[in-house]
Amino acid sequence: MKILMVCTEKLPVPPILGGAIQTYIASILPHLRPFHDITVLGVNDPALPDEETVDGIHYVRIPRKVFEIYRDNVVRYIESHPFDFIHIFNRPRLVLPIRQVAPHAKLIISMHNDMFDAEKIEPEEANAVIATVSGIVTISNYVGNVIRELYPQAAPKLRTIYSGVDAERFLPGTHQKMQKIRNELRKAHGLENKTVILFAGRLSRNKGVDKLLEALPALAKKHKELALVIIGSKWFSENKVNDYVAYVRALAGTLSIPVVTTGFVAPDEIQNWFAAADLFVCTSQWQEPLARVHYEAMAAGLPIVTTARGGNPEVIFANENGLVVENPEDPNGFVAAISQLLSDKAKMKKMGEKGRELALSLYTWERVASELLEVWEQADELTDTEMTIAAVELTEATQTEAITEQEEKQVDEKQAKKEKKKEKKEEKKAKKAAKEKDKESTQPNEEKTTKQKRQPFILSSSYTDTSDSKKKKKGGSSDRKTGSGFIIS
Amino acid sequence: MERTTIEPWIVDETTDDFFVPDYIEEIAEDVLTHYNLSVKNRQVVTTKPDKGGAIWKMETNEGPKSLKLLHRRPTRSLFSLGAQAYLVEEKEARVPPIIKTKAGENYVEAGGKLWFVAEWIEPLTPVTKDLEGAKQLCYALGEFHRLSKGYTPPKQAEVASRVRKWPKSYQKMMTKMAWFRNIANAYRELPASPSLLEVVDEFAEQAKRGLERLHQSSYDELSKLGNAYWGLVHQDYGWSNGQMGKDGMWIIDLDGVAFDLPIRDLRKLISGTMADLYRWDATWVREMIQAYDEANPLTKELYEILLIDLAMPNEFYKNIKEIVYEPEAFLGEETKLLIQTIVDTDQSKWPVLEDIQNDWKGRG
Repeated sequence: MKILMVCTEKLPVPPILGGAIQTYIASILPHLRPFHDITVLGVNDPALPDEETVDGIHYVRIPRKVFEIYRDNVVRYIESHPFDFIHIFNRPRLVLPIRQVAPHAKLIISMHNDMFDAEKIEPEEANAVIATVSGIVTISNYVGNVIRELYPQAAPKLRTIYSGVDAERFLPGTHQKMQKIRNELRKAHGLENKTVILFAGRLSRNKGVDKLLEALPALAKKHKELALVIIGSKWFSENKVNDYVAYVRALAGTLSIPVVTTGFVAPDEIQNWFAAADLFVCTSQWQEPLARVHYEAMAAGLPIVTTARGGNPEVIFANENGLVVENPEDPNGFVAAISQLLSDKAKMKKMGEKGRELALSLYTWERVASELLEVWEQADELTDTEMTIAAVELTEATQTEAITEQEEKQVDEKQAKKEKKKEKKEEKKAKKAAKEKDKESTQPNEEKTTKQKRQPFILSSSYTDTSDSKKKKKGGSSDRKTGSGFIIS
Repeated sequence: MERTTIEPWIVDETTDDFFVPDYIEEIAEDVLTHYNLSVKNRQVVTTKPDKGGAIWKMETNEGPKSLKLLHRRPTRSLFSLGAQAYLVEEKEARVPPIIKTKAGENYVEAGGKLWFVAEWIEPLTPVTKDLEGAKQLCYALGEFHRLSKGYTPPKQAEVASRVRKWPKSYQKMMTKMAWFRNIANAYRELPASPSLLEVVDEFAEQAKRGLERLHQSSYDELSKLGNAYWGLVHQDYGWSNGQMGKDGMWIIDLDGVAFDLPIRDLRKLISGTMADLYRWDATWVREMIQAYDEANPLTKELYEILLIDLAMPNEFYKNIKEIVYEPEAFLGEETKLLIQTIVDTDQSKWPVLEDIQNDWKGRG
């Protein structure tokens, strides 16, 4: 299929200036390319050509300015370039203008944060957007739940696809590629023999590093040789810093332990600091969509302390790869959780290993891409009622090639279903309903039900067997056991 | 020069208050070529080095004018310029008329900022620093608020509105009270820290109570009436931005206007004036409100919000919030005295608020 991916007006792809959404798009592209003809439409940058084809992906870059101007440019481009599928990232307000110039394309939107909130989009427009798109992909159950609470009718279109991390780049400090870097960084900053707590994020009230600074005096009393590293570029600023940064600097100024503030770290060097640390702490106070740093910390083999805010706890398997602070407004919660880890070094190690294991098995970009392909295919099936038998067979034949043995049985089932569909619609309906019921009662984790086929974007189905992601192959089948996100208990 | 972006500039002992970097002066020259004016001389009268803003007074063939470099985002400045034009052109308010460019625009964009030229109103004299002067200021403020109702910003402008942000700003005050406490605790050995720790809980409690009262009041419904209904607040109104001209009170420096419940300007004027008096005075407060009410009648509901806002620890917050920047320098003897003054003044506030609380009872 001819697919257009529409980025936001903020930063260019590839992520030469960083950015979570930009990283996400760039990381899945290699895994999508073999299956579709993909164009990426985004903002331009002096360092990048306005149009190029790299590794089979076509990039078109248009002027970056305010949203309204970007929107008009996007619309103008689509007007003269037809696509089968248009996947829009995090900008629901692009959906209706795009629909106007692409009346037949299928539209999917990926939500990385709360852009459906009332102050971001008028309810009237939001309703129309939800009716227009074939699916809404979210980066956490939290993001999907918020949309569903505001717009219940969105529920059948929602599907969580957790993000991924490059586990070749983010490596534990014990990894042979990282040992030297870790030792050098620690030496350069006087962190030898220290237990290094890492915070990586914006210096803002929402991200809450002040609570960690408040917790440190009590922790320093209990545990020897602690140190804190803060990655956040706002710390040093030539002009006036804002009140919050001034506040955290004031708090850090009286601490008895070393506080290393890195200032700006280039996006491609961040992993070095993760490798140099021993414990990762996320102090978010706000209902956060789900911060990328969690995946990075896991890949770097760091035990995690995070907060019960937004989507963050969804990637913490309690006591396995980290701990969740229930009430992050109270610094004592961090004292307790961090203390619990620091008191048991063996446990810290085990948690770090578990995190690494999860990053390798579950939070891979390959799995993200594969789920996204599934979404496209399901959306395609969903709306294309005129699909001919031949086409069905052709598609399924292609799919079969890419499917592993374990999944073949399911494909057979599906083909059988399709045959029945052709034979007698009414009968098929009844049968499907019966089958669905049967499946639900016997195989609760089995994703592929008839109901879900018609409404393929089911939020928060279970994904308990983590080894599943290893079985998955790119592209191909919509008959996949591991479907939409996972619940972590 | 076209590509230059205007940035804040550093001030030190070699620069005075009227220093503006050369490249900005050059941009100013360029900006003036867009006007049908022959400028005889141009002189800096105000600067905002930390933000990158400046005002010049110019003598021209058309009389005295001001040239302003607006430090805010261009889209934000568009909002204020639109407001100034609306007030002059549609409401005939006494605010300085904007001089059009050769192309008929209200502004010139240069160095990534908006610039504009306006009439320099002469003569203007500050009102007397007594109750009569305060009442003149209040009446003029009420007039300004009344005339600003119905303003619709230009399409490209970002809408500056505080109408729905009151709970957030009260919440912020509470958060900062906790910061003050934490910093005083961290720097306990400094002279002002014990005084600060002694009183911060009480002020934090006042803020908390204020937020509760706000939630119980008609604020929510009032805020839903929308931006155009309420009109604009000046945000920086006082003895210098409201002055007496030949034909009445003029209001100048409108660059920070935003939609809001109008009483926020009035509250600031009252609490600031009481701080200048070092005590709260029921007569002053009452008569200031009455003078305002004559020009822009206050409903019972709005009066209640005014009382709630007056009861917030505004002066304490305003004076202590700088603590985060250089806590060691801030927490000295001087601040210790300042805190004492604020606490003393605050004590005279409560009887006054009680005294005036029923003034609007019979109102609709």
